[in-house]
Amino acid sequence: MTNHRLAFSKSDTAKFISHLDLMRTFQRAFLRAGIAIKHTEGFNPHAFVSLPLPLPVGFSSSCEVLDFQLVGPDALEDVPARMNAVLPAGIQVHRCYEALRPVKELAYVNYIVTLEYEAGAPFGADTAIRELLSRESLVMDKRSKKAKGGFTQVDLIPLIARASIEERRDTVALDLILQAQNPGLNPELILAAIRRELPDAAPDFATFHRRSLLDRSLQLWE
Amino acid sequence: MNRTLEHILPRVQKPARYTGGEYNAVVKDRSQVDLRVALCFPDTYEIGMSNLGIRILYGVMNEMPGVWCERVFAPWGDMEEQMRQEGIPLYGLESGDSIADFDVIGFSLGYEMAYTNVLNMLDLAGLPLRSEDRSSLSPLVIAGGTCAFNPEPLAPFVDIFSLGEGEDVTVELLELCRKAKDECWSKEELLIAAAQIPGLYVPSLYEVEYHPDGTIRSITPTHGAPAVVTKRIVQDLDKAYFPTKTIAPSTEIVHDRVMLEVFRGCIRGCRFCQAGYAYRPVRPKSPEVLIRQGIESCQNSGYQEMTLSSLSTSDYRRLLDLCDGLQEWCDPNGVSLSLPSLRADNFSWGLMERLQHGRKSGLTFAPEAGTQRLRDVINKNVTEEDILNFCRTAFSGGWSTVKLYFMLGLPTETDEDVLGIADLADKVYRVWREVTPNRSRGVKITVSTAFFVPKPHTAFQWEGQISRQEYERRVKLLRDHMRGRSTAYHWHEADTSVLEAVLARGDRRLADLLECVWRKGAKLDTWNEYFSYERWAQAMEECGIDPDFYACRVRSRDEILPWSVTSTGVSPAFLWRERERAYQGVITPDCRVQCTGCGADKLYPGGRCDAEC
Ligand code: SF4
Repeated sequence: MTNHRLAFSKSDTAKFISHLDLMRTFQRAFLRAGIAIKHTEGFNPHAFVSLPLPLPVGFSSSCEVLDFQLVGPDALEDVPARMNAVLPAGIQVHRCYEALRPVKELAYVNYIVTLEYEAGAPFGADTAIRELLSRESLVMDKRSKKAKGGFTQVDLIPLIARASIEERRDTVALDLILQAQNPGLNPELILAAIRRELPDAAPDFATFHRRSLLDRSLQLWE
Repeated sequence: MNRTLEHILPRVQKPARYTGGEYNAVVKDRSQVDLRVALCFPDTYEIGMSNLGIRILYGVMNEMPGVWCERVFAPWGDMEEQMRQEGIPLYGLESGDSIADFDVIGFSLGYEMAYTNVLNMLDLAGLPLRSEDRSSLSPLVIAGGTCAFNPEPLAPFVDIFSLGEGEDVTVELLELCRKAKDECWSKEELLIAAAQIPGLYVPSLYEVEYHPDGTIRSITPTHGAPAVVTKRIVQDLDKAYFPTKTIAPSTEIVHDRVMLEVFRGCIRGCRFCQAGYAYRPVRPKSPEVLIRQGIESCQNSGYQEMTLSSLSTSDYRRLLDLCDGLQEWCDPNGVSLSLPSLRADNFSWGLMERLQHGRKSGLTFAPEAGTQRLRDVINKNVTEEDILNFCRTAFSGGWSTVKLYFMLGLPTETDEDVLGIADLADKVYRVWREVTPNRSRGVKITVSTAFFVPKPHTAFQWEGQISRQEYERRVKLLRDHMRGRSTAYHWHEADTSVLEAVLARGDRRLADLLECVWRKGAKLDTWNEYFSYERWAQAMEECGIDPDFYACRVRSRDEILPWSVTSTGVSPAFLWRERERAYQGVITPDCRVQCTGCGADKLYPGGRCDAEC
């Protein structure tokens, strides 16, 4: 049986819906939309949905995907409109299609991280960040449930495929291409590195946006 | 979304509670509405969104043209800290607008320990706590819910209390507010007019005087306010609004399922039960309406669980019809049905088997007292035989977890009654040994005891709560007599039950205590993380309030009770008669067997109850 995939965006208030809650939200939304999808077996059968690349709470995204399996007669092209009618504000389905590319080919994620400075971006912050991310290695503590003490060490540099930094008036924008999985790099770690290594460039606030999903050769993965 | 809010949300736990934007949340155009209402629940989002009453009132108000009702919950401590630090006032979830600018702020009062949250929320909104310090017409602060049946501890903070079911009176009050706003009335003019609407109690229009011993000498209405305000009821629940198109939270809440209210009120007359008296008379919904509403609610929410909620669901005469009708739709659609609040005496096992779908989860049952004598005193008309038969069927059917709920400190309770609980648990265990098909799997019997709190508008409203020391002695006595490894015993800590007893039957003078303890930092008192008895004890000391005066004192029949300005429809004379029958150990038949003339029938225009539902 073919798998199906929804491409959707998550923004505004929906940014704060956690990964687990988002799964539940989609499971219920399929029911509200009256779209029959495959269920798990067992005592407590529930709609089977999978979000292959969890989005951290607070991030916005224009490139989320959800895998599921249509079992009814519903036409793929009708799914986005029917889902959008029953989803919470801030979640919008753009496309529904057959999931041809396996999740394991999803290699990189393009993030836009915007560092905000209330008093204006500090002079030279862009250069300093650029230099920081061009180091030979940049080891950070990363939270880990498995590791002793709750932290492991991770070198960020090998996980950064590309980084371009642009300074504007009140912000510095980081356009980052980071490894997606096994292991993936959460851009919050890059912000943590900036805070640790470049205290002068530490922003008052940062927003994170996931812009696109890419494969090994940095082409769009969908 | 507000930028400051966007900045603070990443720093707090479970931020989805503070954003709004859920499916079916009502968003209106600010320029198209002339009345803004904040519906406040003085506890967290997860608790408040699980409250059916909130969902009903939200729907009722938003159905009114020109009215926009939004939800407001108590923020958790981390969020509150951020809000105060960043200067974000309490806001409506739908618009993000500060509720201080709304026309009406309404609180739902379900339990006394949430009172400090009411004060904290008013303060977070940037409003003066006391009604007299809020001189303008808006925002008007109103409150309803079960606790409004003794409104007095909150009287100085709240402008208007709504007694009973809010479906109709809320609409009438909002219409009045609109008129007042259009015609530029003063707040006082509005309050005086509101007091003329049945079911609305305006505390500032009553003068209370006290005897030197601290009891009430008189409660005098002024400005034409009625001497007694009687609650409102919905006459025909089939025709009443029911929220089938209700908000589907984007984050998990406590009761994350469809709640279907099968009937209101209760035919039983448990003498300790405030809900049982306060929601009289019993009014059912027809299975046809319930089935339609249940199915629509599932379709509109995507919930896969439905619970039939009522005070005593198994008393619903047509429960089988209802379950059959619902299951016909639920089964093929993968929706599971559950029935809480069952009684041991009229339980249908066939039904239970069918609902469980082979799952044998725990059974819960509340005998309330350990001996027949005491069960007769409280009019819990369930016999030991009922209970043991119930367990016998359950165990032979493969169930192996039973939870039994009791109260300690009920009027006339002796050590024999306390030990009766242990005996009953032991009998339940022996029944299990006798009938279980599989002894090796073991059994788990959980006994829980709560500390009895005498509540207003019950037959026990005149009683004293036993002292904390005595309660703790009885807990220990019971603990020492609990036998067997299969039986676990849980008991409530005394602290909150003592405070509940103080607040439940408190008068206006307790407002100072509430304000004092809130100033000391009390909030989210229903949560262990925040509750501190020490803080309450200090505040009582500072305010010169003796908790025993409110909690432990036995009232005489002619004492003027603080809540005597409110009426549930059940007459004090009936309650007193019930109290006397309690002391005689005489049971009173339920409304179906025989009407015993409680007075609630007068709430119907025709003056007749129909308990045959
Ligand atoms: S008036 Fe009679 S039937 Fe009606 S609630 Fe009271 S006791 Fe029950």
